[in-house]
Amino acid sequence: MDETREKKMTIKRTSKYKSDIAGWLIILPSIILFAFFVWEPLIESIRLSLYSAKGMQTIEFVGFDNYAKIFNHPDFAAALRNTFIYIVWSLVIGFFVPIFLGVLLTETVHLKGFFRFGIYFPNIMPGIATVMMWGYFFRPGPTGVLNILLEKIGIEPQVWLTNPSWTIPLIILTMTWKGAGSTALIYMANISGINPELYEAATIDGASILKRVRHITMPSIFSLGKTLLILQVIAVFQILYEPLIMTNGGPNNASISIMQLVYNYAFRDFNYPMAAALSVMICLVLVVLSGTYFKITKEKEY
Amino acid sequence: MKKICILMCFVLMISLLSGCGKKEEPATNDGAVTEENTNTEAEGTDAAAEKVTLKLGIWPEDTLTDDIKLHEGYVKTFNAAHPNVEVVPAYYKYATDTFVSLAESGNLPTIFESWYTEPQKLINGGFVADITDILEERGWLDAINPSISDLLSKDGRIYGIPRDGYALGLMLNVELFEEAGLVDDNGVPKYPKTWTELAETAKAIKDATGQAGICLLAKDNAGGWHFSNIAWAFGATLTEQGTDGKFTANVDSKEAIAAMEYVKSLKWEYDVLTPDPTNEDWGTGFVNLGTGTAAMYIAANDAVNQPTQVNGLPVDKLSLVPLPAGPDGQQYSLSGGTPYMFSKDATKEEIEAALDYLEIMGKAPVATEDAIAGMKADNQNKINNGVPVIPRFPCWINEDLLAAEKAVTDEFNNVDMKLYNDYYEAIKKEGNLRLEEVGSAQDLYAELTKVLQAVITDKNANVPALMKQADENYQKLLDTNVNK
Repeated sequence: MDETREKKMTIKRTSKYKSDIAGWLIILPSIILFAFFVWEPLIESIRLSLYSAKGMQTIEFVGFDNYAKIFNHPDFAAALRNTFIYIVWSLVIGFFVPIFLGVLLTETVHLKGFFRFGIYFPNIMPGIATVMMWGYFFRPGPTGVLNILLEKIGIEPQVWLTNPSWTIPLIILTMTWKGAGSTALIYMANISGINPELYEAATIDGASILKRVRHITMPSIFSLGKTLLILQVIAVFQILYEPLIMTNGGPNNASISIMQLVYNYAFRDFNYPMAAALSVMICLVLVVLSGTYFKITKEKEY
Repeated sequence: MKKICILMCFVLMISLLSGCGKKEEPATNDGAVTEENTNTEAEGTDAAAEKVTLKLGIWPEDTLTDDIKLHEGYVKTFNAAHPNVEVVPAYYKYATDTFVSLAESGNLPTIFESWYTEPQKLINGGFVADITDILEERGWLDAINPSISDLLSKDGRIYGIPRDGYALGLMLNVELFEEAGLVDDNGVPKYPKTWTELAETAKAIKDATGQAGICLLAKDNAGGWHFSNIAWAFGATLTEQGTDGKFTANVDSKEAIAAMEYVKSLKWEYDVLTPDPTNEDWGTGFVNLGTGTAAMYIAANDAVNQPTQVNGLPVDKLSLVPLPAGPDGQQYSLSGGTPYMFSKDATKEEIEAALDYLEIMGKAPVATEDAIAGMKADNQNKINNGVPVIPRFPCWINEDLLAAEKAVTDEFNNVDMKLYNDYYEAIKKEGNLRLEEVGSAQDLYAELTKVLQAVITDKNANVPALMKQADENYQKLLDTNVNK
């Protein structure tokens, strides 16, 4: 009896290994691709950040010199501060809009397809085109589109992006206009997936719309919201082309972001080690941010 | 089933690996070719008979059909003399975000144009070929205008040759001057002689036409570049070099602050700038000037095609005058040169071929029949495209070339030289031409541009404090990067 059992087990085990091998083999091409295109460059840029270089050819090991140079760079403090301001504004303006739109879309009865398309539409425009279009809208002086519109209702032309304290919120507004639609659709899909019986029961118990949203919808999309929040912070931390095109980081560094500093090091100054060093720092910050956030929300959820 | 799976994985793997292999192959081959050529180069003599490929990055872009025809003519002449050279058009518009990958992958064209800002950066990065010996053999070394050759050299070796020299002046849109009634009986604009006059002239034009008086740049480093010339007129020197060779920032001198206060007044007192200077760069400046949304713009003789051919200003409505003088009558023109440079991977034969091609274009320090024919064809092409034919800034200084150039320019002249004479007179004056600031000019420009952005977006900007901050920042950059 025991013998046969053991035999069976061995057969099972070997067959399990066999199926494992097939699995690994299927993954292997992706692993190799990852190794070549993600891990190797990652390690390479850490290495590069510790060397001095001529163009892209490393010359000698300089330890943390490049990092020190970055901390000493006059634009670094502004870029770091701005990046966090971008994140704060993106949470204030950009985080709740898609949730609101998502809830609204689910509740819409008539013309649902039309609204869904309308909200998603800005997303299918190429990013650079969107940014340049908003650039025309925000032009100061009498030739900017928004100023022309304001003039019609008798309001003085505004300076928009060239007012340093408006620059970042306006850029975030542009990004929200473009990006909110796709996020709203994700929320909508999630909300549509909530068991309708919950709502039915709540309605029978006499819960108002607000209460239903608060006690059924919100808890159901909480974990999705958490994921999207992290993704948003990570994305906004790497904001680059919007300020690059709309303001080139100005006026007087009011909108320069860390990624633009990386861009400047790499593509304006051809200083690749410094670009690599700053990228490594960004990577570390993001790892820490994501880690802390997961820890905090994990406790809340249960 | 499992077997099929494993088989499929195998196929995937093989295709993946073979894909990688292919990618690497040409690279190794390239290396081999270069090595071979260097070997033949060392052996010397029979190299001429070998096939040489000349990749011309200076080929015109597709839309400029007339220019392409012009170059096709050059190629014909060139191949008659060099049947062994295959000319490959490889239009490359220099851009900082494409350059390094092209250079590192060995795909740079043999010869390409770059910007006036780039030579030192490209030399330091090891992206361009040292052509000192080749130029010496040809006897071209002494023909280069010494002030320009400094910009293209490092440690006594030279890495490029000048395409054009430039000296900044003030470009005028004559149509707007006419509209504002600011022309004399001959139709020559009454242009401002001092910076204060410039502000007043700009105001008069803005009042009369509604268009900006002057286009000021504040988007990128070009803003600081222009500003350094304004600051000189106010008596400032922005970087000083001590006897020990170390550089000291001098951005917050009272002269420099006065110059910045002046720029600030252009916005808040006179209000004569374009709507958003923080979005104006070198190119948009010419758009404003050419399309008549700004009457004046700081620009140089090598860019007269920009307002005219590119942006549609009639050829006789452009004028180039000297930059205004400062309060004490000081007047300078920032000068430099735009370079031709050569790929670090180019062989000696390829570079020689490129230089021969430049001879035929009339862009080299030789006045052969072919070269003169090349200049003539170039000028005829300019006339056809509505570009003013005006004297070049002497980037080569050998007499025979200068004489030939003058003869050709006079022959093909298509504009009233009254619109340009004062400019050429001014830059001939002793001490008028001034090379860009020493130290780390691009860092200086970046800092100045930030101040420019601040003073034209904030009416209450504290200029001395901003200049002091810029001075500290620039000093920091000098200390970390240059003063070692």
